[in-house]
Amino acid sequence: MNSIYQAAIDHPVSVPIEHRFDPYVDNGGTLLSIAGEDFCVVAADTRQSEGYSINSRYVPKSVKLSDKTVISMGGCYADCLTLTKRIQQSMEWYHHAHGKTMSTAAVAQMLSIMLYQKRFFPFYSWCILGGLDEEGKGAVYTYDPVGSYERESCRCAGSASSLIQPFLDNQIMFKNQETLKKNLPLDHVLRITKDSFTSATERDIYTGDYLEIFVITKNGVEIQKMDLKKD
Amino acid sequence: MAGLKAGEVNLGTSIMAVQFDGGVIIGADSRTTTGSYIANRVTDKLTEVHDTIYCCRSGSAADTQAVADIVHYYLQMYTVQNGKPTVPLAASLFQEMCYQNKDNLMAGIIVAGWDKDNGGSVWNIPLGGSLHRQPFAIGGSGSTYIYGYCDANYKDGMNQEQCIEFVKNSLALAMDRDGSSGGVIRLAVITEKGVQRLFIPGDKLPVHWQG
Amino acid sequence: MTSRLPRTKGGFNFDNHVRNTMMEGKGLCLPKATKTGTTIVGLIYKDGLVLGADTRATAGPIVADKNCEKIHYLAPNMYCCGAGTAADTEMTTALISSQLELHRLSTGRQARVVTAMTLLKQMLFKYQGHIGAALILGGVDLNGPHLYTIYPHGSTDKLPYVTMGSGSLAAMSVFESRFKADMEREEAITLVKDAIEAGIFNDLGSGSNVDVVVISKDNVEVLRNYAKPNERGIKEASYKYPRGATQVLKTSIRDLVDIKETVQATTTEAMDIS
Repeated sequence: MNSIYQAAIDHPVSVPIEHRFDPYVDNGGTLLSIAGEDFCVVAADTRQSEGYSINSRYVPKSVKLSDKTVISMGGCYADCLTLTKRIQQSMEWYHHAHGKTMSTAAVAQMLSIMLYQKRFFPFYSWCILGGLDEEGKGAVYTYDPVGSYERESCRCAGSASSLIQPFLDNQIMFKNQETLKKNLPLDHVLRITKDSFTSATERDIYTGDYLEIFVITKNGVEIQKMDLKKD
Repeated sequence: MAGLKAGEVNLGTSIMAVQFDGGVIIGADSRTTTGSYIANRVTDKLTEVHDTIYCCRSGSAADTQAVADIVHYYLQMYTVQNGKPTVPLAASLFQEMCYQNKDNLMAGIIVAGWDKDNGGSVWNIPLGGSLHRQPFAIGGSGSTYIYGYCDANYKDGMNQEQCIEFVKNSLALAMDRDGSSGGVIRLAVITEKGVQRLFIPGDKLPVHWQG
Repeated sequence: MTSRLPRTKGGFNFDNHVRNTMMEGKGLCLPKATKTGTTIVGLIYKDGLVLGADTRATAGPIVADKNCEKIHYLAPNMYCCGAGTAADTEMTTALISSQLELHRLSTGRQARVVTAMTLLKQMLFKYQGHIGAALILGGVDLNGPHLYTIYPHGSTDKLPYVTMGSGSLAAMSVFESRFKADMEREEAITLVKDAIEAGIFNDLGSGSNVDVVVISKDNVEVLRNYAKPNERGIKEASYKYPRGATQVLKTSIRDLVDIKETVQATTTEAMDIS
């Protein structure tokens, strides 16, 4: 008999045996959000993949939660779907209880709590919440999978985040530039967003197919779609 | 014995050889797999090592091809110096390679053919590298499903046509049950006159109970 | 008393756990070679054969090269597509190419495709799969066109149409539905292009352009970037930095120094060679 199995019989706990199941899959994809002076842009590609295969070329990662708030998620799509449903249900209950729509800041804090509630069996999801705050200013809230969150002016998450984030730091937040920092107009932010995704599609195999951009202004949420490369 | 290495090409396989008065019938399915993917659906697992000596290969495709290539070379050299080799000689060359390298090989081989001294003969070399002369031999993952059928239906003294039907039916049954076997049936009739190859396409296989 | 029963084999195997923990503890870290997701194909048509490949090279999820060459030269009448470990496919084909040229020189004859196939399979078998080269070998010799697949462990198959690499399933589905024996040249090239494109679009490991090589009895055509179905669009914004964008940490201005060089001819005595 194999000696290691004999060892297992002699000392039942000496050899580790894996009993864990693996409930997570990474479905890839990239998302980003940029806050402007009086607007917010939330964008994500629509490719959903597993390993070297494409599950679907069009699965939106972003969902409009209210006229002022949009959530975008990447990671394990099943977890993202569940989390989105929970947020939407809580927001509905809030509406029934208080007779008003949740503010972006309130949704942001609620999401943090929802994520931390599953601290030891986390949702495998990278969340970015974009919208307008109580003063009508653009707001971006970013999260890790267990609920740590902060408000930022610009953030990219998902499979191509390491490619796009340094670009945004430089072009949106003017990092490493001596140029005068200024608030960018919406059209320029949109151009940078589109260029971010077309460039990421060139080098990240999990990003591509279509780009879906949510523009949140005081007039509500407008959705733009454009093609990305499909290889 | 060595197991199949990760990503290695496997001849899942159902192979068979039957001796009859005047020669042998050898047969094989045609499926080659890498995991669940069929890498070749029309494989020829009946490999010539001399004019009237063939081997049926099962196990690792790489290992059995390498062994067959080397034996093929040995027999060519032997022929130049000593004239035609016998089937037991070829079989013992296979056996020697399979036994001496058993730690590194995954090869189950059936050697069969015709020679002047022995007429038709079938030699089985299973995984450990032992050598057995048998009136008929089956091998490969699919063979486990047809031991009973073969034992029940083999008769001493069958003629060529009866042997062909026996091999065809046995392999078809093995291919029906074994997921690693399938495709077409390739047969070879080896007699004093030479080798006659037969081909049974996937839609012309003998039909048994289909459930 | 279940623990007294012999443990059945199967499921996870931890035979090497103790050894690996010890080695990790001593700081051992095995290097990982670059594996290329790839689609490579080949088929035989009326007058010869067509080889095809995509041009994406990947390092994990990142595209390392958007337009690399995966169809390697082996001999004037033979080419070889490579999938698997990038370095292995390149070095293996280069090595065999050199052996074939020496063979041609010593025999004075054009090398045969079986010779190349045998050299490749014997080398790969010797290395027991550690050389991760998955190849499609195609060539035309005095016996006609030949097409082989060669796996990393050294097994070979001879078929009229073949695919390999991570996109091989997508490409094979195109071949299985549309391949015919004795196709015309144009039809064959189109089928190869479509098979590679199936890999490019449906397999994330494959992408960018289609390379094609057509080999017939006495003609070889290398159609590099035969199709370019993935041209990059134009960028929307300009990323030219304005003057002064770069931070100045230190300024130091120095005067130019004039260096005067003079060459003085000296008379040397003639060498004494007596």
